[in-house]
Amino acid sequence: MRLALRELVRRPGRFVTASVVLTLIALLLMFLGGLLDGLIRSQTGALRAQDAQAIVYSDTAQASFVRSRIEPGLRAEVEAVEGVREVGGLGLVQLGARVPGRGPRDLADVALFGYELAPDGVPPVPGPGEAYADEVLKADGIELGMTIELGPARSPVRIVGFVSDTSFNGQGGVWAAPATWRDVLSANRPDARLGDGVFQALVVIGDEHVADAIDTATAGRTDSYTIDDAVEAIPGVTEQRATFNQIIGVTLGVAVVVIALFFALITVERLALYGVLKALGARSATIFAGLVAQAVSVTAAAALIAASAAVALDAAIPPGSVPLDVTVSRVVTSIVLLLLAAVAGCAFSLRRVLRVDPASAIGTNS
Amino acid sequence: MFLAIKEMRRARLRFGMLIGAISLLVFLIFFQQSIQNGLITSFIGAIRNQNSPVLVYSTDGQRVLQGSVITPDREALVRGADGVGEVGRIGQGTFTGLPDTPGPDATAGETFDTTLIGYEAGPDGTGLGAPSTLSQGRLPRSDFEAVASAVDERLGFGVGAVIRLLPGDVEITVVGLARDIQLNVTPTLFTTYDTYRTAVRAVNPDAGEPLPNVLAVDPAPGWTADAVVETINGRSPDLDALTRTDAATETPGVAQVQQSFAIVFLLYGLVVPLVTGLFFLIVTFQKAESLTLLRAIGAPARRLVSSLLVQVVVIVCAGIAIGTALYLPVSQQNLGGIALRFEARAVVVWTVLLLVLGVISSLIAVRRVLRIDPILATTGAGVGS
Repeated sequence: MRLALRELVRRPGRFVTASVVLTLIALLLMFLGGLLDGLIRSQTGALRAQDAQAIVYSDTAQASFVRSRIEPGLRAEVEAVEGVREVGGLGLVQLGARVPGRGPRDLADVALFGYELAPDGVPPVPGPGEAYADEVLKADGIELGMTIELGPARSPVRIVGFVSDTSFNGQGGVWAAPATWRDVLSANRPDARLGDGVFQALVVIGDEHVADAIDTATAGRTDSYTIDDAVEAIPGVTEQRATFNQIIGVTLGVAVVVIALFFALITVERLALYGVLKALGARSATIFAGLVAQAVSVTAAAALIAASAAVALDAAIPPGSVPLDVTVSRVVTSIVLLLLAAVAGCAFSLRRVLRVDPASAIGTNS
Repeated sequence: MFLAIKEMRRARLRFGMLIGAISLLVFLIFFQQSIQNGLITSFIGAIRNQNSPVLVYSTDGQRVLQGSVITPDREALVRGADGVGEVGRIGQGTFTGLPDTPGPDATAGETFDTTLIGYEAGPDGTGLGAPSTLSQGRLPRSDFEAVASAVDERLGFGVGAVIRLLPGDVEITVVGLARDIQLNVTPTLFTTYDTYRTAVRAVNPDAGEPLPNVLAVDPAPGWTADAVVETINGRSPDLDALTRTDAATETPGVAQVQQSFAIVFLLYGLVVPLVTGLFFLIVTFQKAESLTLLRAIGAPARRLVSSLLVQVVVIVCAGIAIGTALYLPVSQQNLGGIALRFEARAVVVWTVLLLVLGVISSLIAVRRVLRIDPILATTGAGVGS
């Protein structure tokens, strides 16, 4: 194995092109993964932030806030379910926000939530006409203490703090008191207006399996989800994840083939040398281990360069364009998968290594 | 050429793996091209394939149909703008739809997110905002009739189907199907404006009078769509008039999708020639002695180069052919509500591009071959030296 690593150090030029190809493939893997993570993160933050055991929608809402109506009577039934400890109303309206100092056509996309139970990282309900904004909205020029105007009715909302990772459907979350949300909804979306006490969804703190108990208790007039299931129920999330994972899987397959191809060629080139090594007493396992060490080293170097490039790309892409989110876990996962692909790719050369005849070192064909 | 083919036959595994790698990459490129186009069509097909040349949003709507609200004062501004001919109201909402009979890809009682687009259809259904790609049946002529997106026939949205909107008792009969008219990747129904208003009130008893989401505008005789867009936008910064094409391409998300896929395609487009170039460079190194010997016994350099290029073209073509064969059945599928399509134009463009890039990538190997000095055959050295 030492011989193989020494070759890497002494003759790096021989591995450069393969490293470039693998770097591109690694960058592709990380970029695709980052795209998936960015898309999901920007769509689901508001639900992932809920510090609760269930989200309750009305039965025909298909887990959509705008199609869900929970009337006070139904809420009371939910509150009475065994295992339910606390219930809070939750409502949403998605609007354009006019930001002071920006052009009349340059609006920010916001998802205004009215909440009773504070999600993770969101302070308790603010005063009337006030709200906490997701920090992604800073890119739109929203600042602390600023009053933004929401929707065609230009409903004023003053920003009293910032929160993080609470976006919904790609729009920055703005968290306000239920009364503020209800006023903004009525003023800007007459077709979506809701009566007093009516919410679009309920956030429930309680026992672990409380979601099922709620739907049973309400005789199916509610459609309750655990937080994870509610995230998956957001239209498009499951499909995006499945499609991207398939593409990432095939790209990984390409990595295996490329590594296999490159090291198969290198093995063919070195058959005579392997014959000599075997004649001198080297075992097939030792020779193959050297090959694997080279593949893993080349792949690791390529993956590290790609990781740096992915992080740089993430930093360079302006907010609001490509939804890229390169996370440590994604980078580590990609590197591990590529290293496994390197080992798997080398396996194609194992047969050739095993077939090398030590006698070839004294002139017989291998 | 004879040598080139003979060599490929002898080293099937080696060349087979290269073909395999190119096939997978080509398949990925084509598949993602279909996803990109299918996604965009499913996302904004309803805007692209309706008959109004100009759509007027409220600036607050950020070019999202459902996010836009046209208040009466803004509607008056539009109607009073120069160059405006006929004006129609369009309302859009997402509802929960239950087909009376499930389609082949649905189960009994299965409900679907269903987009309802209401337009002022007129007596023959051809009012502003009507779908322009009718493929079966007819346009809606009265309330509670609709044209559905053809791709969703498989879910139970075929001609004659009755779609019940939940909650409530609004039922809409599908009287026609149209191609590529989905909005937001959901089954989409084009119906009358009054049906839309009724549906909104039926599912939400608290709802006030729904306002139109956008206005459909037909330019007056002698006016172009672009000119009308300018006059309307000049009336108020709260109005955001767009031509049909701009309304489709500038819907939020479309540019993001295109930019994201452009980066992905660029990376895949680089990997294919690099893999090909790397392969032939290594193979040329390995054949160094044989190539030198061939030159020494009189084989002209041109013949060796043409053999190399033949191999490159055969390998890349085989990879593209297999990749296309893999892509063909996949391109006939629906992917989570997105109708994929065989993108013939993309196949042709990528085939030409990858062939050219493949040949270019092999130029380093070609250079090595051209540098062979036949005299080295007497010393045992080759191109790798």
